[in-house]
Amino acid sequence: MLRHFISTLIQTRGIKHTVNIKWVRPPYVPSYKPEKSGDLEGLPPVPETTLGRYHALSDEIKDASESVKKIFSVAYLGKKEHHILFKQELVNRVKRHKYDETTAETKIASITGSIRCLQEMMEKFPRNVKMKQVVQELIDKRKKLLKFLRQYDYKKFEWLLEQLNIEYKSHPETYHKLSRKESLRKLTEMYCEDIRNKKLAEYKNLLESQQGPFLKQKLENLKFIRSEQMDLKLPITVSEQVIKTVEKQLEEWVIKDKIKEDAKKKRKNIILDLD
Amino acid sequence: MAKSLAETAKKFLLLGQCVPSVKQNAAKIRVKKLELDENLLMYFRKDEYYYCHDPEKICQTGDIVLIQALPQKLTKLITHEVKEVVYPFGDITDPITGKKVAKERYREDMDRQAELFGKLQSTFDYNKAPPRGWQEGKKDFSSKPTYTKFHIFDDNDPYAI
Repeated sequence: MLRHFISTLIQTRGIKHTVNIKWVRPPYVPSYKPEKSGDLEGLPPVPETTLGRYHALSDEIKDASESVKKIFSVAYLGKKEHHILFKQELVNRVKRHKYDETTAETKIASITGSIRCLQEMMEKFPRNVKMKQVVQELIDKRKKLLKFLRQYDYKKFEWLLEQLNIEYKSHPETYHKLSRKESLRKLTEMYCEDIRNKKLAEYKNLLESQQGPFLKQKLENLKFIRSEQMDLKLPITVSEQVIKTVEKQLEEWVIKDKIKEDAKKKRKNIILDLD
Repeated sequence: MAKSLAETAKKFLLLGQCVPSVKQNAAKIRVKKLELDENLLMYFRKDEYYYCHDPEKICQTGDIVLIQALPQKLTKLITHEVKEVVYPFGDITDPITGKKVAKERYREDMDRQAELFGKLQSTFDYNKAPPRGWQEGKKDFSSKPTYTKFHIFDDNDPYAI
């Protein structure tokens, strides 16, 4: 009580802020949401007028009247039947053969179907705690199966991600609650790194700009020494190769300098246009 | 004597696994070692991490590779180089028969089974499949370590959870 009172009177939190960093806490996203579970696609398009799973197989319904077909359509048979069709649609994308139900890819596909159906239901009833739990368990199970598939068959794993439109992200080292202090530390570190890189880039620029004049001077001096040695008939220490290499370096520098200046001009023009 | 010993020790090859890392121009290799606890007289696992020079990018995350110490350190971190990939990750070959395996079964057998039941168009074909890595950074985010999202940046990092 007393501590709370003191902390409201004296605000100790905001005192040491010498660095201008603004931290925005990421908003809470429930774990059943598609952006957390990694589903990049909604439910497959299966209209409500399609017949139920077993009803579609019968011969009588083929030449039945419209009203009978309507009664045996998914809209009248219930959500459960509709969800089964969604699942089948996903499983059909990866099935090996007609009776394939137990391989990893079909398991993952059918789990994905259930997850997507339940996600849609969760949007309608976000307070249904039991359903939330079921979705979470299914998502974890799918992730585990994907992890194992990745270990023993990487090519199939990648193909499956493409077929079912799932994102796979590996587990982080630790799952911990986000704290303000940790985030601020990381942000400050990034800020410092940014400053360091900027300074290094500036210094590099400065050194590179001094390279050209130095090379010109060096070329002149070398040529002068060579001509003097020739005139005085002394042993020649500066070969033509050395002079050629220096000339090459100078040419390269000129080209680089031109590219840099052009980029600078472009940036200036863009800023002027924006103004 | 000690000097020559250290030099020969440098030539040893180490077997390790490539782990996800943020470093761009080097591979991070985990080498598993066993350390003796003298009080308990038991061996405990102790991991050592090496940053290895890998200019041609022969190793990908998860591969089991052989590494060797460089004669001179490249940078402060990079001390070793990747010699060769021994076991590529998720692409297992049976050492006795030389056939490809998925989990506990031969790929051939699985294919044969699918044919007997009536192979469908949707079956995954190993021959047509592109080499590993075509989904990296698109849908497969496992080459770099993920972390808890701590701030809202302008561009969204997929490795932040």
